[in-house]
Amino acid sequence: MKAISKTPIVWLFLIAAIIVIPLVSGSYVIGVMCFVAVLGALGVGMGVLMEQAGIFSLAHPTWFGLGAYVSGILAVQGETPPWLGSIIGAVFVAILSVLIGAPLLRLRGYYLACATFGLLLVVEISLAQLGSLTGGHEGLMGIPPLSMFGFTFETDLHYYYLAWGLCLACLWFLHNLMGSRVGRAVKAFSDSEVAAGSMGINVPAFKLKVFVLTAVMASLAGSLYTFYLRFTQPGIFGFPLLVELMTMLIIGGGRTLYGPLLGSFVVLWLREFIHMYLGKLLPRMTAEVDAIFFGILIIVILIFMPGGLAGWVDRLLGFNRRVIGKAAD
Amino acid sequence: MRGLSKRFGGIKAVEDVSFGIPEKGIISMIGPNGAGKSTFINVVSGVYTPDAGEVHLEGEDVAGLPAHAMASKGLGRTFQLEELFISLTVLENVLVGCHTGSSSGILPCGFSFPSARNEERRLRDESMKCLREVGLEERAYNTISQLPLGERKLVGIARALAMKPKLLMLDEPAGGLAAHEVERLIQLIYALREQGLTLFIVEHNMPFVMSLSERIVVLDEGKKIAEGTPEQVRSNEQVIKAYLGEEVA
Repeated sequence: MKAISKTPIVWLFLIAAIIVIPLVSGSYVIGVMCFVAVLGALGVGMGVLMEQAGIFSLAHPTWFGLGAYVSGILAVQGETPPWLGSIIGAVFVAILSVLIGAPLLRLRGYYLACATFGLLLVVEISLAQLGSLTGGHEGLMGIPPLSMFGFTFETDLHYYYLAWGLCLACLWFLHNLMGSRVGRAVKAFSDSEVAAGSMGINVPAFKLKVFVLTAVMASLAGSLYTFYLRFTQPGIFGFPLLVELMTMLIIGGGRTLYGPLLGSFVVLWLREFIHMYLGKLLPRMTAEVDAIFFGILIIVILIFMPGGLAGWVDRLLGFNRRVIGKAAD
Repeated sequence: MRGLSKRFGGIKAVEDVSFGIPEKGIISMIGPNGAGKSTFINVVSGVYTPDAGEVHLEGEDVAGLPAHAMASKGLGRTFQLEELFISLTVLENVLVGCHTGSSSGILPCGFSFPSARNEERRLRDESMKCLREVGLEERAYNTISQLPLGERKLVGIARALAMKPKLLMLDEPAGGLAAHEVERLIQLIYALREQGLTLFIVEHNMPFVMSLSERIVVLDEGKKIAEGTPEQVRSNEQVIKAYLGEEVA
């Protein structure tokens, strides 16, 4: 396959860019790029779940939030080291997503979306109401920084490398996975469940596996996020984050693996620019302008680039299957 | 393989049908539109659960197992409307057929362990062999949407072959094919039988069925109305009645 030979170059370029960016820019850029990486890691998993596996689950911010809260609470109590707390958070999310996914994944399409949206709201409200444990609406404060093997992650730059490490690890893992028999099985059942079943694929089991895998990835991203901010709040993991992720998926393109990461980069930087320039012009209206701007952008992208930016770039670079097919002739 | 028998509640789509499929034979099922042929294949392959009856595969009762379990017992099938995976290439479609013959899980695949990579290489070789068998080797990297109907049917067969089935069930393999494509299909089916495969074919195309089958089962309104060699079926009065209607006195 010709496409594979191009892949290492793309990876090298990406890694080089990530190493070079902090060397040539200031703390502001590093800070924004941290968020790009965390939301990118989250979006990449959500892209696989929604667009490639066809599982329309809206509960992704919930796994992110639960990972953040479990590791945050454990760290505040101070009995477990933060890195262990992150793993405990991931295990907790894995167990919960199995328990919730097993019955919910029998639903499809809009019904699954409704049920998982309910989960999103329930968890957000619970986090706000369980005041003694979670700090309630005020949020969880006094979270210590992440430390591992005697090294404490303190500066933005530390978290920058950590976040990009996690993001690229998720991307690499899913890249391998989607090119393997598991990934093919996943794409197969999203095309035709009946045919996939007749090929020997246990569709419900595979759906649950993808669901849990992406939930665990989201949980790890959530833990990292909470140690970076050293603070967490129920409102972070609710509807606004879901809208943000959907925007990233649509603009970046969820059918390709790296699309959501590209989306995360584009959305967060566009927002920074809007706030930077329009903040001076319309000081009281940036949130509304922001919403209108991204609303229009989503419509434009859906009309002119249904595959998102990544789909468009792939066409431009001739990475798509049609060309690979011809090259192999 | 022993007698297969089915009944359906409510609308009796398939009612009390029994027959045997001898090993390495070519058995066909014919019947007018709506006779329940496709329902029958769906029941046998586990897409629908039977309301009553038994399916024996090499002496083991497998009725009521879900489709994926049927597949791992060695039951391969194609679909009337192909049901190919449109977001995958031709080769990848066939690779999905190798699912039961491979075992790497999420972690070995995601971390790209050597075991998973070796298995992937083996699967690719096997899949290319299946594609060569149906004569679509040069189409391996095309998308499904680029193929004409005849070749799509062949991809469906290659995909089922990749499962290394004992019994291969083809649901209207000749539907919508041109004459020379049907000829190619017949050659392919004979070649598969030579390799020791047992074939069960549901089809509309009479000349195709008559020239190919060792035995034919005729279904009408969900019931088996005749069974026998092509000659016996051709001259069976009930079959003629089902196809042409009763003679007006």
